[in-house]
Amino acid sequence: MSDSEEPLPLEGLKVLDVSTFIAAPAAAVALADYGADVIKIEAPGEGDPHRHNYKRAPTYPRSENNFPLQLDGRLKRSIALDLKNEQARPVLEKLVKRSDVMIVNFPPPARERLRLRWQDMEALNPRLVYCSLTGYGESGPDRDRPGFDVTAYFGRSGILDSARYEGGPPGLSMPAQGDRATAMTLVAAILLGLRRRDRTGKGGWVGSSLYANGAWANGTTLAGAAIGAKLVTREPPDRPRNALTNLYRTKDDRWLQLLMVRDDRLFETFCKVMGLPQLVTDPRYTDREERKRRARELHAVIAPVFASRTYAEWATILAPTGIPFGVIERVADVVQDEQADHAGIFAETDNPAVPRTVNNPIRLGFARPRKSGVPAGVGQHSEEILRELGHSEADIATLKKSGAVG
Amino acid sequence: MVESALPLSGLRVLDISSFIAAPAAAVVLGDWGADVVKVEGPDGDPNRRIMHDSSNYPKSDTNYPWQMDSRNKRSIVLDLKKADARAALDRLIEKSDVLICNFPPPVRDKLRLAYDDVKKVNPRLIYASLTGYGETGPDRDRPGFDATAYFARSGLLDAQRYEGGPPGVPGPAQGDRATAMTLVSAILLALMHRTKTGEGSWVGTSLLGNGLWSCGVIAQAALVGAYLPPRPPPDRPRSALGNIYRTSDDRWLQLTIVRTDKLWAPLCEALELPQIVTDPRFSTEADRRRNSAALAALMSEAFAKKPYAHWLKALAAKEVTFGVISRPQDVPDDEQAEACGAIVKTAIPEMPRTLANPMRVSFAEQRVAHPAPELGQHSEEILREAGMSAEEVAALKRSGAIR
Repeated sequence: MSDSEEPLPLEGLKVLDVSTFIAAPAAAVALADYGADVIKIEAPGEGDPHRHNYKRAPTYPRSENNFPLQLDGRLKRSIALDLKNEQARPVLEKLVKRSDVMIVNFPPPARERLRLRWQDMEALNPRLVYCSLTGYGESGPDRDRPGFDVTAYFGRSGILDSARYEGGPPGLSMPAQGDRATAMTLVAAILLGLRRRDRTGKGGWVGSSLYANGAWANGTTLAGAAIGAKLVTREPPDRPRNALTNLYRTKDDRWLQLLMVRDDRLFETFCKVMGLPQLVTDPRYTDREERKRRARELHAVIAPVFASRTYAEWATILAPTGIPFGVIERVADVVQDEQADHAGIFAETDNPAVPRTVNNPIRLGFARPRKSGVPAGVGQHSEEILRELGHSEADIATLKKSGAVG
Repeated sequence: MVESALPLSGLRVLDISSFIAAPAAAVVLGDWGADVVKVEGPDGDPNRRIMHDSSNYPKSDTNYPWQMDSRNKRSIVLDLKKADARAALDRLIEKSDVLICNFPPPVRDKLRLAYDDVKKVNPRLIYASLTGYGETGPDRDRPGFDATAYFARSGLLDAQRYEGGPPGVPGPAQGDRATAMTLVSAILLALMHRTKTGEGSWVGTSLLGNGLWSCGVIAQAALVGAYLPPRPPPDRPRSALGNIYRTSDDRWLQLTIVRTDKLWAPLCEALELPQIVTDPRFSTEADRRRNSAALAALMSEAFAKKPYAHWLKALAAKEVTFGVISRPQDVPDDEQAEACGAIVKTAIPEMPRTLANPMRVSFAEQRVAHPAPELGQHSEEILREAGMSAEEVAALKRSGAIR
């Protein structure tokens, strides 16, 4: 909303990203997008295993280009540090002492073993905002279980079970879908920690879990379940409970989603644009409750009309009417969607292999997200960072020789 | 570790929004101590009635969605189409730190509630805007809902389908609630900016942007021309050992076997299919993948013979890895849901438990949920706090500007 050249809001903020895979590293990316200096600590050699998902993960689209790294590794510097090597410890401690934020997602036993818990760090830097991501929380029977997006966010929270048509299999989730939503929670938690530090001078622990984020996303249904509300099953599109909030297949085998939540106001308009003016006065459909009761009958009337035109034709017909609808858009089309550009969703990069990327969804009137270049290789900035910490060339050589630094 | 002052205590928030994503962001701010005033029109936020209006909501005598999205707020009714109500709103804006708005842009213009209008009243104000599709562009004025903007338009629903089947099914407000956390992050960034510069600002997000962020992997892949192949349905999986199976009590189990060679024999034992351990069709991973439909058929038959609870034990006993697909009704009583702070107790008699927002901090606990306000319950109190005299409030009541 503004073209001013003010400094980015997080300029000067020093962040240590000691995490792997997606939710926690993606939170660090969002901070980097808005100016934070993010140092990623990763294992020498292969680094964060997420670097290899584009080649290894069976659920990922295949590409020659490391596209996930543009999302989750952009704008970071990388130091390869073997945290199991005792000689790496003083380097880590120096980094912790000069950082504002540290992001960790080791399961609790690994954190304990590596002495990376908040109480370990607080002793080094009491002003640190320590952000922890777990699969299932910091206590309880499953706290040590490694948590992944599909198991902790989607499976355990009841989302997959809710996301099915009656009689059908559970819903599907996309790779890292819940991870990335969780990243926004971590950003909020970190900013809350920083705000409190501004006021009190004290750092502190902040965190979240994939499970709690899945439960929050599924909150409406779970709040209902918690008081014993009768849970609804979703009828398949050909047997809707409400024909006016349903899915319809168009002539070109795409799907259009009608969402007339306030249908009493729009029903007449709807009937007219559908070429079904006789329905307006049809006593079977004049009343909202009647329409719901006769949802399948109404569906039988509407469905062939939708099937008679293409999606593009329907979009043109419905757009000016105010009738809420959405196409079941295909990702291939979304990346060309003019509206997505207006919403600030995609951004150009300086990386020829991945020339466009997905912005984090925070928009600010006073700053734009930084443009990203080629993500750092494992340990690309090891020496530079060690020099910033005051290590001599001889120190650096010793650390490398010992395998503590890669 | 716990201090008495909440991290957002003293922050004044005006929630001039409806339905879920934007009001839920205000809830989160309230959970951490902000004083949230909900400004509603004479008919109230339609979210007060959504449980009855939407066929996708579980039905109850308790208005749990409204309680969840309005906890700890106060309500003032202002008929913003009336000039004196709009003037009263300016009095509130003068004293607020944050204003959350989700009217589509033309309504904002009509009500003089665009950022440019309100920053004249209070230049330190943080204006948080939620839209379906962004602030400009051909679809900026289109009302956006979770199911349409976050899920359908982003490509999520199309991607979430089994080959040949209908699109995926979004849960009620699922994307709204995730979006709320983005809006909270944006507001906190603006507060940081204000601390540094003394200036207010505009911040915002869109449901479409959040949907695409959540499916960032496939969107980013599409940007380099890579696409996810369609997901085969469970009866013809790519790998029978990474597939879902229905149990005799109509529940589902997700096998997540990665070390397939090591776990093949234990799996067959757990399934009581010892005869297939040495079946030449399945003897190597390549064989099992080649004959995955035949293997899935045998396994489906086995899983369908016994209930979910049996399989949990039988698979765990053989150290076969699997994912739990919980039903919503299992979650509130899941010990781990309480341990991670997702399910919390309330001070609302008819709704003793609710969902906490997913942020945890060592230095504060989220406020306990108290009942959501009745429509206009705090109108007078809020205007008096803003410095209006009893006479002024009475005049507004007489004109119908407030209720």
